[in-house]
Amino acid sequence: MANQTEEHNTHAHAQEEHEEHIRIPGYLLVFGFLFVMTIVTYFVALTDLDSRLFPGANTLVALLIAFTKMSVVVLYFMHVRWQSKLIWLTALAGFFWLAIMFSFTMQDYLTRGSGVFTN
Amino acid sequence: MAHTHDSDHYHAPGLQHQFEDMKQQEESVSIAMWMFLVQEIMFFGGLFTVYLVFRSRFPMAFAAGSNHLNAFLGGLNTLVLIVSSLTMALTVYYAQKGNKSMQMILIVLTMIFGTVFLGVKAVEYTDKSNHGTIPVDGWNRKTSVGEHPAAEHSALVLPFESKVSAAETTSTSEEHHYVNPKGEFQIDKEMMDVIRKEEKFFTKAEEIGYKSNGQIDENKVRNKIRIFFWIYFVMTALHALHMIIGLGVMLWLLWKAWLGTFTAEYFAPVEMAGLYWHFVDIVWIFLFPLLYLLGRHFLAGHS
Repeated sequence: MANQTEEHNTHAHAQEEHEEHIRIPGYLLVFGFLFVMTIVTYFVALTDLDSRLFPGANTLVALLIAFTKMSVVVLYFMHVRWQSKLIWLTALAGFFWLAIMFSFTMQDYLTRGSGVFTN
Repeated sequence: MAHTHDSDHYHAPGLQHQFEDMKQQEESVSIAMWMFLVQEIMFFGGLFTVYLVFRSRFPMAFAAGSNHLNAFLGGLNTLVLIVSSLTMALTVYYAQKGNKSMQMILIVLTMIFGTVFLGVKAVEYTDKSNHGTIPVDGWNRKTSVGEHPAAEHSALVLPFESKVSAAETTSTSEEHHYVNPKGEFQIDKEMMDVIRKEEKFFTKAEEIGYKSNGQIDENKVRNKIRIFFWIYFVMTALHALHMIIGLGVMLWLLWKAWLGTFTAEYFAPVEMAGLYWHFVDIVWIFLFPLLYLLGRHFLAGHS
């Protein structure tokens, strides 16, 4: 029955790893960060960065904040930070395919001229 | 060598017979959930692509559309969803601890915040209907000839936000007497001024799409703003549908938690429901700036 106790042990170990994730203060910290970033993105959007910095600065900042918020949610709330490589790969593949869809669509539309959507 | 599961192997209570151990089972379940989320990314991704294509063609019409939305309510909903994501994450945390009562309390809290989100959304949709921005025949509040569509979120003028109440622009021209069949909303006068000012930066598509006979034509601009509203309604409605499904999942989770299904050793359904909930939150994290915020700076200085 040595086998059984050994399995018990590895199991208990796996359980401990689970609880290692992030404790309540950690979750609150992540939440606070997301909260603050939401407020920041709201007020930045009301500021005219386009003329102060460069055209498209407002869009860039808004998207950067959104990407940061998404990364934090994925890494900490969705626990990807502590997951296996296979899960990382699956999650990243989703964004990779999305990037393919965006870039291939846009390289078509941006090189097509203005002959559509005229009404 | 015929040893049965019951006699020889330690068996965790939640372990299903096709898996070697809990670790393998959890990994398999997670992979499946992530595969589902990846196809959800592509599902919403199609709509984000539509947004990308049309925004790159008609940036000013999209800016005008954004200014018709209520960024305060959008931001409020973002915060509500973030709070619900926190309670969801804590639900998983307490499920891992096997704490039944905290689990149930947090599931109920998550559901409450989810419902608040949908409530705010309903207020916004009503406002859009009153204001005449829904691009579908007969879905807007009918206004009699001569009456203007109701003022947009007139009860709520916000700090740091310029008023974007399109209906406040007193229309003098007679052509503006609509019966409002399909989104005959009025474009904010200041916004039209901004669009005229930006004329030299027009894209090729805008050059053709906004003008008739070389002059900027408000009706043609309004048509392009309708494209924005199509995208707005389809994306937010699809997102709201995901919220409703999420609430259904939460209800089921609450029931299972009440039955005491989830223990420190078996909590995969809680974790997977959490992944789904956070995913829906992430979609909103992108919808909020893309639909409500971009282009708002054009009018922010004018209040």
